Amino acid sequence: MGRKWLISGSPGCGKTTWILNKIKSNQGACGYLRLIEQANNNKEKLPESLIDYTFLKDQAPHLQDLSDCSDTSMSQQKDFLILIELSQSQSPESLEPAELNPYVKSQLESLRLQPDRHLHFGRDSELPNNDTLVFKKLESWSLNLAKRVWDPQSLNTFWFELVNGAYGDVYRAKALMNLPDGQSIFFNWIVSQKGSQFLPLKTVSPPNGRPESPSALVIQGKGLDCIGIESTINHCLLNDALLEMHQTPLRNQQPEALRTN
Amino acid sequence: MKHAVISCLHANLAAVKAVLNDIDQQGIDDITCLGDLVGYGPQPNEVVDLVRERAIASCQGCWDEDIIEGLNACECSYPSQLAEKRGHLAHEWTAEQLTDINKDFLASLPTSIRRDRILFVHGSPNSQHEYLLPDMNAFAALERVEKAGADTLFCGHTHQPYVRELKNGSIRVRLQNTSNNKAEEKEINLPMRKIVNAGSVGEPRHGSINATYVIHDDVSGEVEIKEVAYDIRQTCQAIIDAGLPPIFAWRLSHGFEFAEQAEDASHVCER
Repeated sequence: MGRKWLISGSPGCGKTTWILNKIKSNQGACGYLRLIEQANNNKEKLPESLIDYTFLKDQAPHLQDLSDCSDTSMSQQKDFLILIELSQSQSPESLEPAELNPYVKSQLESLRLQPDRHLHFGRDSELPNNDTLVFKKLESWSLNLAKRVWDPQSLNTFWFELVNGAYGDVYRAKALMNLPDGQSIFFNWIVSQKGSQFLPLKTVSPPNGRPESPSALVIQGKGLDCIGIESTINHCLLNDALLEMHQTPLRNQQPEALRTN
Repeated sequence: MKHAVISCLHANLAAVKAVLNDIDQQGIDDITCLGDLVGYGPQPNEVVDLVRERAIASCQGCWDEDIIEGLNACECSYPSQLAEKRGHLAHEWTAEQLTDINKDFLASLPTSIRRDRILFVHGSPNSQHEYLLPDMNAFAALERVEKAGADTLFCGHTHQPYVRELKNGSIRVRLQNTSNNKAEEKEINLPMRKIVNAGSVGEPRHGSINATYVIHDDVSGEVEIKEVAYDIRQTCQAIIDAGLPPIFAWRLSHGFEFAEQAEDASHVCER
């Protein structure tokens, strides 16, 4: 018998970390879906969904992405676990999915995913009592950074400035950033916690040009200087010539078999 | 007699005025400046004018040199691409603002000033662009002072004020003579040498937003590192009004230098 759980909570409350631990401890197949509260006309994954799914898939390679298919095949499997993540700016008034935002409900119906449990951070004792910030009237800004590669030292400075308030009051920042050596780093920061989490993904791209791995930045806060953020990011990203300069010595260090791939 | 040493003014007029006022209040009229009058800050002409008006003896800093010689004068790299882009932006802005008279003044500055056994330089006796960091290898530090023929070396450039005493210095040389196959050994014992870094007036990097400078008593040898508060909001507003990147104002107001410090201490210049 499988389970379909809806996990909701405000940004930065620890949903993704809790979901990862649940996936790792489950014996059977695992599926993951990230819902949003408002309609998105863009057919591509939103940056936050992209970051979360890529991070989870890297940590738990057996994870299945349920964002564009129904769970019919998974539901046939023994001990399956489907975790549906929902980022909310307000606490739901009821435990029942019927009380959920109509758009969320319609997404669940179209995917034929009716959760049998709904756990909400800050309300349900089964979940860890992490900081739950009330994210009403907060601005959210995101940037898809696909195929962009950072100068490592510049990235260090940018992140330091970002989380220390140089571009407005940042409450939450999450990112997947590409480095010239093929590494992709998961960045995670919330105002209520000390320090940033930097986690290199297990999946490393070969240092052969621009990586295919997803990359994005998501920021929530107040009075965000989005133009300033984007301007600094542009100063930090490597152009083709500089990327090549970084990667040439790395390629020469690789075994012959890998170099030709 | 007491004299004051200031460095790295970086076109921060409010900070320069506050430091000069602090020096004046102590009745000290002998002031030496170790360069970097301009760069990043919003009032390059005003600061150069003030130094000229007060006839403050000054060395040429790396920024002063680069404004005259062009961007690649020091032939070194910035610690990051972001720092380089910001540095170039500040350089272009400063070069545009500076009057010809002030450029000529910066070009005329000497790379060092000597008063008997006291030497004043911006970076090190070797170059305006070399850092003498407080934790630099003692032998290398001693070599810089000894080679320059100084007992006390005043420098800036790092934006971190410090006093370093190099005691019990000795250099042992073993020379192998190939003609007679004899080894000759020579040991030179040196008296105490001192390196004094004046910190920075206009772009502090010592963990506080206050300007720093030093007072030296050339009779007793005593050195006092002074910290002076100034109206930082005034400078930050001037940065915004000048159209310089607002991030410069944010960094200054939080006690972070305009361009981040290189992690590699042997890195030569970040302007």
